[in-house]
Amino acid sequence: MGELRAFTAARRTFALAIAAGAILAPCGVVIAQTAPAAEQVQTVRVPFVRNPVDKSYPKMIKGMERFMRERALAPAATLRFRLLPRLPNSKLDGVTLRVLGDNVSAPVQIAPDYSFVLPRNEQALREDAAVIANRRSDSMTWRAWVQTPGLAPGTRRLGDLRLECRVGMDAGLISNSSPMFGWLSNALANTDQVCGNADGNYLFFAERPVFAVTLRHGARTEVLPFKMMYAGGDQTRETLPFCDCQVLLDRSYYAPLWDKSWPDDTSIEFDYMDGQP
Amino acid sequence: MRRPSIPGIAALACFLLLGACATSAPPVGTQVNEQRFSASVVPGATRAGVLTALGPTRNIVFDSGYEVWLYQTARPNGQFAEYVVLFDRAGLVSKTRRREPPPVKTN
Repeated sequence: MGELRAFTAARRTFALAIAAGAILAPCGVVIAQTAPAAEQVQTVRVPFVRNPVDKSYPKMIKGMERFMRERALAPAATLRFRLLPRLPNSKLDGVTLRVLGDNVSAPVQIAPDYSFVLPRNEQALREDAAVIANRRSDSMTWRAWVQTPGLAPGTRRLGDLRLECRVGMDAGLISNSSPMFGWLSNALANTDQVCGNADGNYLFFAERPVFAVTLRHGARTEVLPFKMMYAGGDQTRETLPFCDCQVLLDRSYYAPLWDKSWPDDTSIEFDYMDGQP
Repeated sequence: MRRPSIPGIAALACFLLLGACATSAPPVGTQVNEQRFSASVVPGATRAGVLTALGPTRNIVFDSGYEVWLYQTARPNGQFAEYVVLFDRAGLVSKTRRREPPPVKTN
């Protein structure tokens, strides 16, 4: 428990100093010069330092609250969170999650598909806990997963994706920047901008590598343009590491969340690369 | 040493962050003749054959070995139809798809 307290104390006092130090100069020098916070922390044993892209438990709960408030977008849907690989060769086998705060440390049960439900814990909320994995946080990415049951295989529902974006953004799950700037990226992210505008850039991932995505509502159909596939179709070897689609590029697509001419009941159909021509 | 201000840190980080995330113009593929595309890009055609027939264009090579190429054909009102070709791991045309631009909205 002492380790937990030390972790949180360090997190609270170091949060800005570490971020600033990472940007401006070698950490050791800057931290030593940003007294008084640094002087206090130098005497504290720090078994963990919260990574800027670790997930905030209160934020994830905020995402869950958004799901409850805006269920009209997906009235029959359930909410889970999901882990996805981010780095080449990253394996999720054996991944574990814990909710970690001052005095609380609670395991999170992960399903075989690496999805999970985050239990609500008032103590963890009070302690501004983090959701922490047992591996490098930049080796995987996180998404909300809003799923209406009973959809045809290989399809999704636009209202589910609309709600998924809002939950995911409120939950602070997206980290499409270098870990160094992840804290700032999250601070600047605006749910309404990302999920409500044509230039919003919330990426979705199909279950398998996808060749075409088609919207269908009644007699109206439209194939997504190339610029809405594969993270915009313009990623390069240099930019890809900053996209959490790094190893999921062939599964990634944008959905027209902002386009109200497509109702929530619009079906999204996937033509997979390995499917029948 | 003067302690850096929060706005200063934010400005620097914003600059670097936005540089990495800026949205670019839509991808533009090589413009091709529709009939020539249909004649050249058939299931089983080779990557080299398509390259010879239609020329290089915007493409994405995935870690899986699959590859997509984008060609375009001009349509009225400055719009373009898209032709996307999927090459499998063996470098053969596996699928194609065509997308016409949406109708131009008039007030």
